[in-house]
Amino acid sequence: MTHNRRTENSAEHHEVSALLPWYVNETLEEGDRQRVEVHAGNCLTCREDLAAQQRICEAIEAQPALNYMPVASLKRLQARLDTLAAPVSAPPQEQPANRMPWRAWMAASIAAMAVAVALFAGDRWVLEARLQPSFRTVTRSVPRPQGEVIRAVFSPTITLVELQTILDEAQLRIVSGPTEAGVYSLASNSTLTVHASLALLRQHSTVRFAEGTVLEPESGNSP
Amino acid sequence: MTLPAKNSPKERDTALLVAVAAGDRRAIEELYLSYHRRLARFLSRFTPRYENVEEIINDTFMVVWQSAKDFRNASQVSTWIIGIAYRTALKSFRRQKNHTGARSLEDYPEQTVDPTFEAEVHDWLKHGLSRLPIEQRLTLELAYHMGHSLEEIAAITDCPVGTVKARMFHAREKLRQYLPALSGGPSDLSARIG
Repeated sequence: MTHNRRTENSAEHHEVSALLPWYVNETLEEGDRQRVEVHAGNCLTCREDLAAQQRICEAIEAQPALNYMPVASLKRLQARLDTLAAPVSAPPQEQPANRMPWRAWMAASIAAMAVAVALFAGDRWVLEARLQPSFRTVTRSVPRPQGEVIRAVFSPTITLVELQTILDEAQLRIVSGPTEAGVYSLASNSTLTVHASLALLRQHSTVRFAEGTVLEPESGNSP
Repeated sequence: MTLPAKNSPKERDTALLVAVAAGDRRAIEELYLSYHRRLARFLSRFTPRYENVEEIINDTFMVVWQSAKDFRNASQVSTWIIGIAYRTALKSFRRQKNHTGARSLEDYPEQTVDPTFEAEVHDWLKHGLSRLPIEQRLTLELAYHMGHSLEEIAAITDCPVGTVKARMFHAREKLRQYLPALSGGPSDLSARIG
């Protein structure tokens, strides 16, 4: 009887011991969590192990990790996607509506750019006069519709340095704001799509709100 | 393709993956940007070189792009993507190990490094972690750094739950040998229980 009890306790100890890491990271289901607490309440070994695991967990969480700027990496991914064989990314035959996405738009973009170049070459002075109020950076290869902005609200506690870091990462600049309601109007500094910039903004907890006012119908093929 | 409105992250991920499966470049771009930070921070713990981190992430998303149409909702999109990153990283780290001749803790004789030479617990931890076999370390980091549950780690690593427990058990045992300073003494948890 004593032997059976010891065996049972030993089995329980091993099973509970195996759950300790997930007790520490607080992902155990309620039943398992209570099981750990009941057992560890009577088991010095498990209590000591819990203490050790908690320290390891805290030490791992406290280790510094670098933050990377993903935009350059994304551009390299886009280049790789461009070189992929066409059939790989082709949508299923039975979904003709989805065949458009990027190849058709790429073709449309190229055509639009060709027209723009022709217009530019043919009537440069007129165009310059018309475009004078607008601003285009040298890194912006595809013209965006004028007035295309993102509206964003940041945490009231955000510092200027933090704000600038977020804008740099999302490749945005402030065109106006903040309004009385704290709304900034942002424009792109690069060929990054509005959706991509929005995704970058929304990763930050200090960004309370971010929406595109004029979203692109399609893009993502920028070089 | 209409991108999803602001839903829960899970719904948004699923909608984006559906768009990726249909060949939507904007969707893969958005998915990439929403996962890059998390994956980069995780992977940078295993390799100090950003080129390696970037290569693993981009390889992962090449697989996502090519395999999205095969995703069957058997798991969350996040688990699926992190699982791809896990396998890609594992291959990469094994390749690096072959090239650099890096060794795991099992290759070292007992206590070749005296932890008393290390002043900081973090340094000890760094050394201890770096000497764990890669599967054990990844399991530990998935639990303690990424906060995944036992079942999620099983799905990510494509292993039975028992294997995940065993890897974690061995990792803990090795760290216990290597990091005596981390054991002993009361903690918040033990105080809560005891």
